[in-house]
Amino acid sequence: MNIRYEEIQGVSLGFYALVAGLGVLILAALGAVFYMEHHGHYVTGMSNRIVWGVPHVFALFLIVAASGALNVASIASVFHKKMYKPLSRLSGLLALALLAGGLMVLVLDLGRPDRLIVAMTEYNFKSIFAWNIILYNGFFVIVAVYLWMMFERRMNKFTSKAGLAAFSWRLILTTGTGSIFGFLVARQAYDAVIMAPMFIIMSFAFGLAFFILILMASYKWTERPLGDAVVNRLGSLLGIFVAAVMYFVAVKHLGNLYLAENAGVENFILFDGGIYTQLFWYGQIILGGLIPMALIYHPALRGNRSTLGLASIFILIGGVIQLYIIIVGGQAYPMEMFPGKEILEGYGGIAAYTPSLPEMMLGVGGIAVALIAVTLLVKFLPFLPESLADEIADPHHKS
Amino acid sequence: MYRLVAILMVLLMGNVFADKHADHSNLGEEASSIKASGKIFHTDGLDVIRKMHPDFLNHKRDKTLREGVRTKEGSLKGCVNCHAIKDKKTNQYHPVNDKDQFCSTCHQQVSVSVDCFSCHRTTPRKGTK
Amino acid sequence: MSKTLNRRDFIKTSSATTVGVATIVSGITLTTFAANANENPVTNEKRWGMLIDTNKLTEVEIDGMVSACQQENGWGSEVHSTGDQKPTWVRKLKVQDKATGKITSLPLMCQHCEEPPCVDVCPTNASMKREDGIVLVDKHLCIGCRYCMMACPYDARSFVHEDLTDQREHMPRGKGTVESCTLCVHKVDNGESPACVASVNSDAVIFGDLYDPKSNINQTLKKVQSAQIRADLDLNTGVRYSGI
Repeated sequence: MNIRYEEIQGVSLGFYALVAGLGVLILAALGAVFYMEHHGHYVTGMSNRIVWGVPHVFALFLIVAASGALNVASIASVFHKKMYKPLSRLSGLLALALLAGGLMVLVLDLGRPDRLIVAMTEYNFKSIFAWNIILYNGFFVIVAVYLWMMFERRMNKFTSKAGLAAFSWRLILTTGTGSIFGFLVARQAYDAVIMAPMFIIMSFAFGLAFFILILMASYKWTERPLGDAVVNRLGSLLGIFVAAVMYFVAVKHLGNLYLAENAGVENFILFDGGIYTQLFWYGQIILGGLIPMALIYHPALRGNRSTLGLASIFILIGGVIQLYIIIVGGQAYPMEMFPGKEILEGYGGIAAYTPSLPEMMLGVGGIAVALIAVTLLVKFLPFLPESLADEIADPHHKS
Repeated sequence: MYRLVAILMVLLMGNVFADKHADHSNLGEEASSIKASGKIFHTDGLDVIRKMHPDFLNHKRDKTLREGVRTKEGSLKGCVNCHAIKDKKTNQYHPVNDKDQFCSTCHQQVSVSVDCFSCHRTTPRKGTK
Repeated sequence: MSKTLNRRDFIKTSSATTVGVATIVSGITLTTFAANANENPVTNEKRWGMLIDTNKLTEVEIDGMVSACQQENGWGSEVHSTGDQKPTWVRKLKVQDKATGKITSLPLMCQHCEEPPCVDVCPTNASMKREDGIVLVDKHLCIGCRYCMMACPYDARSFVHEDLTDQREHMPRGKGTVESCTLCVHKVDNGESPACVASVNSDAVIFGDLYDPKSNINQTLKKVQSAQIRADLDLNTGVRYSGI
């Protein structure tokens, strides 16, 4: 069966309302940036103890999700699963859009965003950060080429090679993102090699959750047919990814508890960390893990798109919470500076952090940038198949 | 492409010499007194220092910060000390990067922002060591 | 090129360590010859370090070190930053041994590691170590990403959270960049001791060249027990402590 791709019309009131709404969020984010940069970071909740706050939470969340969103395309062109092929273009687009949103947040939270050119011209190759700058820029190029090969009929034959390159690149990219934390030897909350693979599996879950939501929304709003075969397949895959994230989280925390040096910070996150403990159990584990799995796997809810959408939203919220605990919670607990001694004065204690409104606006603005990019580009380029009905999308369909 | 770059360069060069005939009321107190005495401080010529001062400063900054070379040549402190002017009423120095002060007159005209003074002191030093 | 770009104020302000000879040639050119130690780049033949004897150093003296640093480098009078947002180049720490209950006070600042994690993580080479072991932030290159603050095991770095004016002439500081103890590099290059060391009127804090066998710090370190903070990280710090 031939797949026909077609731009969406994008003339309805709903379309313009969506674009306008996202535009407002982006303007609010830019206003917040101007406010923060004009005054300096004292207007935020961040400090010299919590040096990375909510903007980094959203930025890393989006960057991690970006590499995961590319998975759908990778499954088609690297693992040759036919059903995923019609979804590849949207997958590539979403990956680029999410990365752009995440990088915008990351850059605009710098102390000197006006010096971005320095980051592009001065490289310290020992720095994971510098490597990430190269990895992010490379991701844009590789995925753009990959998309071009999908779009251009004469280039179609190279799609699987480009897909393999993009898939390898994204694995390295997420490894790099996880290693930002994994190599911080001084901090007990981070110093663990497992951070890199954990970030990869997190990217699978967050990226797919984003993808499912956007796929279902765009087909519903454009009234194009979307068959159960595709949706259910993506749904069960999402369930597996969420279970895998929970497994990695369990291994990481159990492994950390075993080391006396890290027991303090583990107890803090798991048991007596106040807001961080509550966020961990109620937000990350229950809301972001157990409930979505129940929604996906409960026999009574099988094939129910509303509950799949709800599960995806919970996974995304849980994902933001998970990164909040890793980034902010990990910094809030003091470093072990004097093993065997207790610091009475001068350093120590749990660092206070209250996210400020401008920080939140910047973070949400990053999501809005990603969504508006997808919304506009599916109008101007044929990213979406005109139909994903079962008889078209499902290679095993029997009528 | 090269032609475009060349045209752009010429335009920029024009701006470098633009203030040749401007008045020198904001030249700075010490610089004015050197000028009045008939001596020449920037012996390579004013067009050289106008064109090249960013290079001199950048070169010096790396030498000083990274290698500990603390000679006076090309030192930003020297620029500020010489080219700052005092307000007649308050007897306080105007920051050299204030509007219409020494650094700003040209930089405003060519729309090039000065990044030095987001960190560096903008007036001659006070009594503190 | 730069040879002819001389500074008139050179003559006016030439310091004790600078031997300047100024000749005015035909009233036009000022030529200077300076025979000065800091005309040449620093080398790795020296490694600056500090030894702090916590048994001799009193709490009052530690407070004095902190305020000497503030006075010298101009930090601590920020108006908008609150709580942990305020910069801290050096702080007074009080630690208690969990077994014996012994309480020790000590000043903690950048430890000027030989293998500084802040330098490794900095994406733009702004975080840097001079040949003579002094770890600095090149604020010309700093983009304010704060990764170095994440990496530092000593919480020694601060981010400037607000606009600053009236900085010290020798110590540029500005909003959106990271800063920390410079070991008073501007004084060291002129043959002086860091301000905090100079503020202590005893040998409780010694500053000098760790490599020089004739230096006080080298000889003392050979005699007394000393420790590095977080020695397990193997960073080989330039700041050493005895009595902890």
